[in-house]
Amino acid sequence: MIKLKEISKSYKVGPTTVRAVESVDLTIERGDMVSIVGHSGSGKTTLLSLMGGLTKPSTGRVLVDGTNIWTLSDREQSQLRNRRIGFAFQFSSLIPTLNAIDNVRLPATFSGALVNHGRATDLLELVGLKDRIHSLPGMLSGGEQRRVALARTLMNNPEIILADEPTGDLDEETEADILDIFRSINDKGVTIVIVTHSRAVASQAKKVLRMNKGHLEVNGD
Amino acid sequence: MRRLGLLYLAAQNLRRKPFRSFVTIAIVGLAAGTLFSATLLIGSVHQSLEVGMERLGADLLVMPEGSAESGETALITGTPTSFYMDESVFEQVKAIEDVEQASPQIFIESMISSQCCTGHVQIIGYDPETDFVVGPWLEDNLNRPLENREVVIGSLILANKGESVHFFGTDFDVAGVLDSTGMGADESVFMSMDAAYEMALNSQEKAETFLEIQPGQISSVLVKVAPGTTVEQVAQRIKAGVPGTMVMTANDLSQSVTDRLSGFLRGFFVLDAIVWVMSLLTIAAIFSMIVNERQREIGLLRAMGGSRRFVFRLMLTEALMMTAVGGLAGILVGGAGLFIFKAVITASLGVPYLWPPLWYFGMLMAGTLALAVVTGAIASLYPAVSSSRLEPYAAIRQGE
Repeated sequence: MIKLKEISKSYKVGPTTVRAVESVDLTIERGDMVSIVGHSGSGKTTLLSLMGGLTKPSTGRVLVDGTNIWTLSDREQSQLRNRRIGFAFQFSSLIPTLNAIDNVRLPATFSGALVNHGRATDLLELVGLKDRIHSLPGMLSGGEQRRVALARTLMNNPEIILADEPTGDLDEETEADILDIFRSINDKGVTIVIVTHSRAVASQAKKVLRMNKGHLEVNGD
Repeated sequence: MRRLGLLYLAAQNLRRKPFRSFVTIAIVGLAAGTLFSATLLIGSVHQSLEVGMERLGADLLVMPEGSAESGETALITGTPTSFYMDESVFEQVKAIEDVEQASPQIFIESMISSQCCTGHVQIIGYDPETDFVVGPWLEDNLNRPLENREVVIGSLILANKGESVHFFGTDFDVAGVLDSTGMGADESVFMSMDAAYEMALNSQEKAETFLEIQPGQISSVLVKVAPGTTVEQVAQRIKAGVPGTMVMTANDLSQSVTDRLSGFLRGFFVLDAIVWVMSLLTIAAIFSMIVNERQREIGLLRAMGGSRRFVFRLMLTEALMMTAVGGLAGILVGGAGLFIFKAVITASLGVPYLWPPLWYFGMLMAGTLALAVVTGAIASLYPAVSSSRLEPYAAIRQGE
């Protein structure tokens, strides 16, 4: 489903060139649940961004179902991200001026489809926030914001979910709730890649990959 | 269910920093308001000149030497004045080559005293035999000449048709009210010269203040030049052939008004240009700030499937909304300001004023609004382009 071929990513920080990802070859199959672990600065988040087309590789190719996404136009790339990929970030990623339900509905507006209010409500119910649909992000706790963001990730029924520390700095109970959701959608065939520091989260994955100084080490199946 | 369209998202974004949005809108409003009101002022003055000169119906005015300033002011603003010359001037002017029509008038300044007069106005006596100014109006509206105890009044004289007005001990019936011109005619009272002489005669017995004019005295001669010649040529001939007079052309009057306006407007437009540049720079600076502040959000929108075009349009829409609101506010405030202070402005500048037709208002509003919106588009173009070019991952990381 997702294939990275000889992918490298380097960028300049002042006079220094940082090699965030170096010569990574990786294949993620449909329905996989993969976790990527590693120290801070090992290149995990950069690798995840490369998979989702959020950053352009310095060298190499990113293939989604055989198509090199960097040969697509900006519009086609945007459609790919909108319709097939859901991102979950490690920080509160809600738009502060929109209430919970509007944040959840937002991806649907880019797809040109009719914004499905019912689905957005169902997703907020799934993450346990049906009673907070009109709350602005500033009125929600960190855990609640993360759950709203997760509902938004699921809005367009993505085939792939790329999650960057989705449970970072959350209490154990909320972390368990979110992992339950990930497991249940993975059971429905959705491919999930999670970058995490948490052993508990990593242990839920079918496959654990370790990043070390930009290189990928496969830990086991 | 509300649609999460561009307009909604842009409006929500503008509401997040209300003071900043208000300041930007206010600057654009100031620029649009000053431009709108200054242009409306020019348009109104020109409208008044056009209507006023058409009403005047003459190409040239011959007046006594030294009366240029007061005569001009009386014609433009209606400030009452009186000056006299011998009626032989009329005969001399009529005899000048290429003078097609000539008609004498007499100017009488009514007194402020209520016992004397209905108001402090310019009374103009015209000669029904030769007149081509009031006559055509009478033909169209009254179908008969004015009688000796009748007057036609300008639109700003406080009386209605059929009512009576009182000047120098004589009562006159108002036979009609002229349409508004914005010029001196609006504050003038027209009667036949015979009626004026009779009023002067009667004032000796009936009025507290005598009106001292004698039959045979006139104040001006209105001239229409023959086709095929120029107004300037005839003016030169009159100057050369009729000593003790000065000649004013319709162009002189327009030029005089333009001169009165130009000093004021020059400063106004310089100020306005500065405000426009300021608003352009302010919008550009504010949108550069917005792009920096919202890098992470822009990255997130891109990650969710927002295209570069969407981000570009979002930024542009925010700028256009602010400038459109600012432009509209400016037009409303500028228009209201001119409406309220019209009398003060026109009196201090000594210019005539007549609201232009609706189509002119519409065009001016549309033009001012378009300029405001174009300013917003130009100012936000670079920030909008640079925000759309942000790489989603870099934007998300830099915004953390």
